[in-house]
Amino acid sequence: MAKRASSPALDASSRRWTLLAAATCLLPLLLQLQPGMAVLIAACGVVIAALSWRRPLNGFVRLLLALLLIGTVLVQMRFGLGRDTGCALLAAMLAIKPAETASLRDARSLIGFALFAPFGTFLLDQGPLSLTLGLIGALLSLATLQRLAEFESGERERNESHARRLLTILRLVGIGLPLALAVFWLFPRLGTPLWGVPDRAVSRPGLSGSMTPGGWAELMNDETPALRVRFNGPAPLPPQMYWRGPVLWDFDGREWTQTRWYRGLPAAEVEPAAAAWDYEIELEATDGRQLVALDLPTRAPRDARMSIDHGLYVAKPLTALTRWRMRSAPPARYQAQLPRVMRDAALELPAGYNPRTLALAQRWRSEAGSNDAAIVQRALGWVRREFAYTLDTPLPGRHAVDEFLFDYKAGYCEHFSSAFVVLMRGAGIPARVVTGYAGGYRNPIGDYWLVRRSDAHAWAEVWLPQRGWVRVDPTAAVAPERVYDTLADRAPGAALFGGLGATPIFDLGDWARRGWNDFVLGFDANRQQTLLRPLGVDKLDTGRLVALFGVAAGLTLLWMVWLSSRGERERDPVLRAWHALGRRYRRLGLEREPHEPAGHWAQRVAARRPDLGPALSALSQRFADWRYAVAETGRRDARDKRELIRALRAHRPGPNGEGR
Amino acid sequence: MAAPWSGLRARLRKFARPRDPEALPALLHRGRVYVLPTRFGLFFAVLLCAMLMGALNYNNNPALLLALLLAGAGLASLIAAQMQLTGLSVVALDAEPVAAGQPLQVRVHAKAGPERARRGLRVDDDGDSDADARLDLDGGSGQAELSFATQRRGWFELPRLRVSTTRPLGLARAWGYVWADAPLLVYPAPEAHGPPLPAGSGDQVLSRLHPSGDDVHHLRAYRPGDARRAIAWKPSARRDALLVREYEQPLGADVVLDWGQLPAMAYESRIARLARWVDEAERDGRRYRLRLPGQPELGPGSGAQHRHACLRALALLPHG
Repeated sequence: MAKRASSPALDASSRRWTLLAAATCLLPLLLQLQPGMAVLIAACGVVIAALSWRRPLNGFVRLLLALLLIGTVLVQMRFGLGRDTGCALLAAMLAIKPAETASLRDARSLIGFALFAPFGTFLLDQGPLSLTLGLIGALLSLATLQRLAEFESGERERNESHARRLLTILRLVGIGLPLALAVFWLFPRLGTPLWGVPDRAVSRPGLSGSMTPGGWAELMNDETPALRVRFNGPAPLPPQMYWRGPVLWDFDGREWTQTRWYRGLPAAEVEPAAAAWDYEIELEATDGRQLVALDLPTRAPRDARMSIDHGLYVAKPLTALTRWRMRSAPPARYQAQLPRVMRDAALELPAGYNPRTLALAQRWRSEAGSNDAAIVQRALGWVRREFAYTLDTPLPGRHAVDEFLFDYKAGYCEHFSSAFVVLMRGAGIPARVVTGYAGGYRNPIGDYWLVRRSDAHAWAEVWLPQRGWVRVDPTAAVAPERVYDTLADRAPGAALFGGLGATPIFDLGDWARRGWNDFVLGFDANRQQTLLRPLGVDKLDTGRLVALFGVAAGLTLLWMVWLSSRGERERDPVLRAWHALGRRYRRLGLEREPHEPAGHWAQRVAARRPDLGPALSALSQRFADWRYAVAETGRRDARDKRELIRALRAHRPGPNGEGR
Repeated sequence: MAAPWSGLRARLRKFARPRDPEALPALLHRGRVYVLPTRFGLFFAVLLCAMLMGALNYNNNPALLLALLLAGAGLASLIAAQMQLTGLSVVALDAEPVAAGQPLQVRVHAKAGPERARRGLRVDDDGDSDADARLDLDGGSGQAELSFATQRRGWFELPRLRVSTTRPLGLARAWGYVWADAPLLVYPAPEAHGPPLPAGSGDQVLSRLHPSGDDVHHLRAYRPGDARRAIAWKPSARRDALLVREYEQPLGADVVLDWGQLPAMAYESRIARLARWVDEAERDGRRYRLRLPGQPELGPGSGAQHRHACLRALALLPHG
């Protein structure tokens, strides 16, 4: 306490800087919180900053405020402990902190904690907006530290322009950048986290282990990327691009869910077709454990397991962007022998639901005899004739499938796949729902495929004797253009800007994003080990990595010292060009001495190198005139200056012979 | 500050160069500029470590980059802080002698090369006193004025001075020591009250000066030790500073200030009395001589030079 009292009270300028920097740091974090919470915290921050502008709030009031706000946050988050709650608490505390920002010490601690806000933001989101805002917040915080240091060293009044202060900060960051990058690439990464990665308390809707028909309406409008794929070799045709995710077996009349029991079983045997695709998939964070792969993956990538229905699972939730090298082939025959227990599971229907659908299915079965394929074809034909595609569907009642098939006859992939599978099971054909993504958008810049969350899709797989599991997509029978999503009119940005003209901008943007993903977001222990592959080092073991890290850190530190000790850049461009000119004569041993007047130097050079003499004399005369003679003011002056600089830069002495 | 920390500080201080007083000018070269994080710098480092741990654990690369960028900028600011000081040289130190008990104003003259701007420099004694001043280097040279409390007469032992800065970010303090072997004199403190000047020797007539009238020669600024009655109150009020009447140079009436003729009194009191008499004689514009045991007589004379010689002799008398 005594120390706090001894810390000098802030002046107005420093206080403004501090609050501005803290607010800027807080902003990206607020954008990641739930809107209600963000507004509450932002309002609290503004009110507290205004109230405590003249003098800090009373300690009791402060305590009360803190308890109130933290309590509200905890209640709002339903006491769930996770990244979201932690970040909301951090934001709340940052909003309260200005209440006691009176001294230099307070301001510094506020800045220190404010720097955690961009950090927290990056844990939640790594989008370009968050990154930009976070970076601005960090730079402003550093500039504030600079202002506070000025204040501490006794400069009570503002003595540097804001622009100059920011420039100094940029210079410091620039000098520190090589070291930061070297450490970034070479600092040994953890293969496995030290402590668990907390799940997001509030998850974004997405592909999960369950599906409720009608539940994806929000997802279908989410244009953010879900995955990006680059094929090594030929890419499949769009109608073949089914990105398989969770396979859903269990239906309770309302919701389709995954069963757990088969997950441990080895993958069912597959006879692959001749064609195979080799590709690399870059999966955005989902917080789930399931990978998405092109239909059908032939083997599990490293660190992943394959379940009996060819779902790919990893041990830890995918909380960050991940990259996977995969190989897939369309199946010629997929699990030709269906074990009895799986057959039962694929035929199970809840009792007392959808009586009309079951009646229809049984009628079809009796008409078709044992020909399963005929029933499938008949169902597809019916769907194609009489159904329509729409995202506007009413909330389903108890017999959701009945209502869809016989009343509305319109819906989207969830309805189609769910109703189709119920119909098939009713007819005695083993069937299951498969969720994932369909189609993709090829970005010509960078030649990769982009699959967005709005490409989420659900389809069916039915088991036919001798053929095994066969993919059937009833939605595609109705609206193929809504499924494969490769047409120009579905190109992202087209709807917004009303034409094809805007797509190159989107392409470029997404390509840049992918590059950023490639170089920064997706960099992990595995990629670190292959860092030097282009140089012939196949795998960096930890020892070598540490050694390399040490060497690089040392070198960049030396580089930093060299950069800093070079002194400040001469501000006058004419003088800069003049000094550079002098240095260019160093190779000839005719460098201008620091104390040597321009004319004298030109004479000395002319004596040794008559070929250079006239040009240099003219230049030094012009320089001396510009520098020491009274120059005319105004426009002409500026132009003269530019010309002089150009002339000074253009003069390059050759080793011997020609001077220009 | 906590005990172990201050112990470490003391030990560090002992190791720091220079370890002995040195002749000026003293150049702060790379080898004698030290940089250590400030307390805030340590706090900042702890924050960054927490960020690094979190970012590595979650393999969150943007967060890692943010932490590394901040760390890089912090390190660059350490180097920048050192650069503010290297190449700076302390050229000279000077101070007007004052009587013991008065604050000694020490001016530190410094200059630096033009290659970079140097901002936020401070000079202090890195010790217990609060001597602390800004050092502004405008166009390569500047000075700082430090105030030291003085207690005893004689040579003032100037402590090792610290030139330091926490700029640009306040994360680190760069500092260098200058231990100038510069003699600064402190005069003896004059006696506060005591008998007037002894009478002039022999036949010379003491012409007491009129406190008012036409023979006022000019006004000068008040100096400690001037008699109250010599203060010209009216002009002082007009000028907002104390002014003292200076009288016409009286004609030769040498005062002999003789150590041997002082009544039996304590050693330091004799010095104090003689110091006061020197001031008084000087103020009254009398010629005076000073006889100290075992030293040649000083004077007769008057004026700043003579006064300085006398007070210096008194100041340098061995401490009893």
